Amino acid sequence: MNNRIFKRILQNKASLTGFVLVACFALVALLAPVLAPVHNPHNPYQLPQSSYNVTPQPPSAEHIFGTTEQQYDLYYGVVWGTRLAFKIGITVTFFAFLIGLLLGAAAAYFGGYIDEIIMRFTDVVFAVPSLVLAMVIAAMLGPDIKNMMIALTAVAWPSYARLVRGDVLSVKRRDFVTASRALGARGPRLLLKHILPNSIYPSVVVASLDIGYIVLTAASLSFLGLGAQPGTADWGQLIAMARNWVLGSGTDAFAYWYTVVVPGGVIFLFVLGWNLLGDGFRDILDPRQG
Amino acid sequence: MKILAEINHLFKTYDRGGWLFGKKETKTVLQDVTLHLGEREIVGLVGESGCGKTTLAKVLLGLEPYQRGSVKVNGAELNRLSKADFKRLRRQVQVVFQDPYSSLEPRMTVRQILAEPWDIHGLHKDKAEREQALTALVRAVGLDPLHLNRYPHEFSGGQRQRIAIARALALEPQLLVADEPVSALDVSVQAQILNLLKDISRQRALSMLFISHDFAVARFLCDRIAVMYKGRILEAAPTEELLSNPQHPYTEALLSAVPVPDPKVQKQREPVTHKADAKRRQGPCPYAARCRYYRQEDCAAPQPAPLQDNGHFCACVRMPFKKEKSRYAV
Repeated sequence: MNNRIFKRILQNKASLTGFVLVACFALVALLAPVLAPVHNPHNPYQLPQSSYNVTPQPPSAEHIFGTTEQQYDLYYGVVWGTRLAFKIGITVTFFAFLIGLLLGAAAAYFGGYIDEIIMRFTDVVFAVPSLVLAMVIAAMLGPDIKNMMIALTAVAWPSYARLVRGDVLSVKRRDFVTASRALGARGPRLLLKHILPNSIYPSVVVASLDIGYIVLTAASLSFLGLGAQPGTADWGQLIAMARNWVLGSGTDAFAYWYTVVVPGGVIFLFVLGWNLLGDGFRDILDPRQG
Repeated sequence: MKILAEINHLFKTYDRGGWLFGKKETKTVLQDVTLHLGEREIVGLVGESGCGKTTLAKVLLGLEPYQRGSVKVNGAELNRLSKADFKRLRRQVQVVFQDPYSSLEPRMTVRQILAEPWDIHGLHKDKAEREQALTALVRAVGLDPLHLNRYPHEFSGGQRQRIAIARALALEPQLLVADEPVSALDVSVQAQILNLLKDISRQRALSMLFISHDFAVARFLCDRIAVMYKGRILEAAPTEELLSNPQHPYTEALLSAVPVPDPKVQKQREPVTHKADAKRRQGPCPYAARCRYYRQEDCAAPQPAPLQDNGHFCACVRMPFKKEKSRYAV
C-alpha cells in the first residue's frame, strides 16, 4: 500500500515537483555541516559575521549569496535555516498532531460532556486569529525558538482535533468495530487497534500541508521579533534583517535585492514543496479517485 | 424445548439533544417486545427498514442498553451483567452483519481477524494448536487455509461473508444473531451462504436469530418467524403456519408484496395497500393508520392481551378474519 502511494506521487507532475523540492531541502538539512562548516561549535545556528559593517554586500566568491545587514552570511543562513525549518515544522506539526489526536479521539470516543467540553474549547481557540494568538503566547513566553514552537503548537492543534473527532465518530459506527465489541474487545483495544488506524489518514494529509504553513508562520513570528534572536540562522530572521534594505538605495531600488530574494525565495520553495506534496497525498488518499 | 434466550416486554428508547441547547427528545424504538428462542431453534425476524430489527439484535448482543423489560440469555439478565459476565456472554452470543464490506477490518489479514476473538479471550495460545484451530475454522465455512494470509479486499462478497461467519463461530457460541446476512449479496451467492448457515447451525447445534426483510429467505432457514413493525412484534408463528395462514393485516400486506414466479398468478394478485390515515395514529395499534380492516370501536379502544392459538401469536384485536386472507398466502 505504501509502495502504491509512493508510485502515484512520482506519476503526478505536481506532486513529483513537491517531492523533489522537499527531498532537496531534506538533503541540505542533513548535509548542513558539510555544505556550511560550523562556525561556532557551541551553537551551529549562530550566523558567522565577517565584520560589523551595517551595509549588506552583494554575492561574491567568499559569500556566494552575499551578506545581509551587519555582514551575516546569507549562504550559511539558508543552509542552517533549512535544518531549523525542518526542526520547527516537524516538531510543531508532530506535537500539534499528537494533541489533536488525543483530544479529538477522546471527544469522539467518550462523547457526552467530555465531547462538549473539549470541542467548545477547540472552538474558542479557533475563534481567535491564529497568528495573533501565536503572537500573544510567544510574547508572553519571551522571544526564543523553543517558546515560538510552543506558541505555534498551541494554535495548530485544533484543526487536528476537529478532523480526528469527525473521523473517529464515523469509524466508531462501522460494523467491524461493532463486531470487535461483540467479540469482547474493550476501550483501549478498540481505539488503538481498530478506530485510530482507520481514522488518521485525513489528518496525515493535513499534517503534510501544515509543515509548510507552520514554517511560514514561524518566519512571520521571527520577522516580528517574537521568534529567533538576531544572528540566528533562521529564514524569518534573515528577512527581518533585510527590513531596512527592501527599498534599495536612493538611486537603485534593486541595490540590495539579495537580502530579500534569497531568504524569501527559500521560504517560497519550501512551502511550495510541502503544499504540492500534500496535495498529492490528498488526491491519492481520496477514495473517489480509485 | 429448552429456552436459550428470552426477551420479555422489552422497551428501548433513544434520547437526542438535551444538553445546553435544544429540548430533549425521546424516541421509542422497541415497544413491548416479547420473543423467546429455544435451543437449536432458528427464529426469523421480518419487517421493513427502520422497524427496530437491528436494534433488537444489538440489545440481544448486549451492545445496547434497554430501559424496561428483560432480556435473558441462559437465565442471565443482560442489563445487570458484571464485566466478567459480559465477557462470558460474548462466548455465548455472536453476530454476523449485513454488509461484509464494512464488517471486516480492512487493515487486518484473515488470520488476524479470525484470531482476534482468541486473543481477547486468551484461547488457543499454543501456536500449533492455534494454527490447527484456524485451519478447522476456515474449512468449516468453505474457505481454504491458504486464504488466511490475505486481506479482506482480496475476496468477493460471498467469501467475505464466510470470513465474517467464521469469526462469529471462533468462540463457539450457542446463539448466532444474523442481521440480514445475505441481503447485500448476489442472489446466486445468497443461496450458498444460506446453505452454509443452515449446515452450520445443524452441525453445531446453534440457535439463530435471523433478521431479514425477505420472506423467501426466512422461509428457507427459519423454524419460526416473527413480524415486526414500528418497534413491535405484530405476529409470530411457525414458518409454514405464518405463511399459509397469516393473521395480522400487516403480515398479509407484506406477503401480498412478495412477487410470485408465475406471471399469470402474479397478474391476478393485487398488493394490499392503503393510504395512511393520520387521524388513526392516536390509537394503541401501530398499524392502524394503514390498516384496511380498521374499525373505530375495536382499534381505538385499549387492546386486550395478544391472542394466541397453538403457537400462533397475533397482536391484532380484529382477529380472526380468516376468509379473505388465504388469497395472499405464499
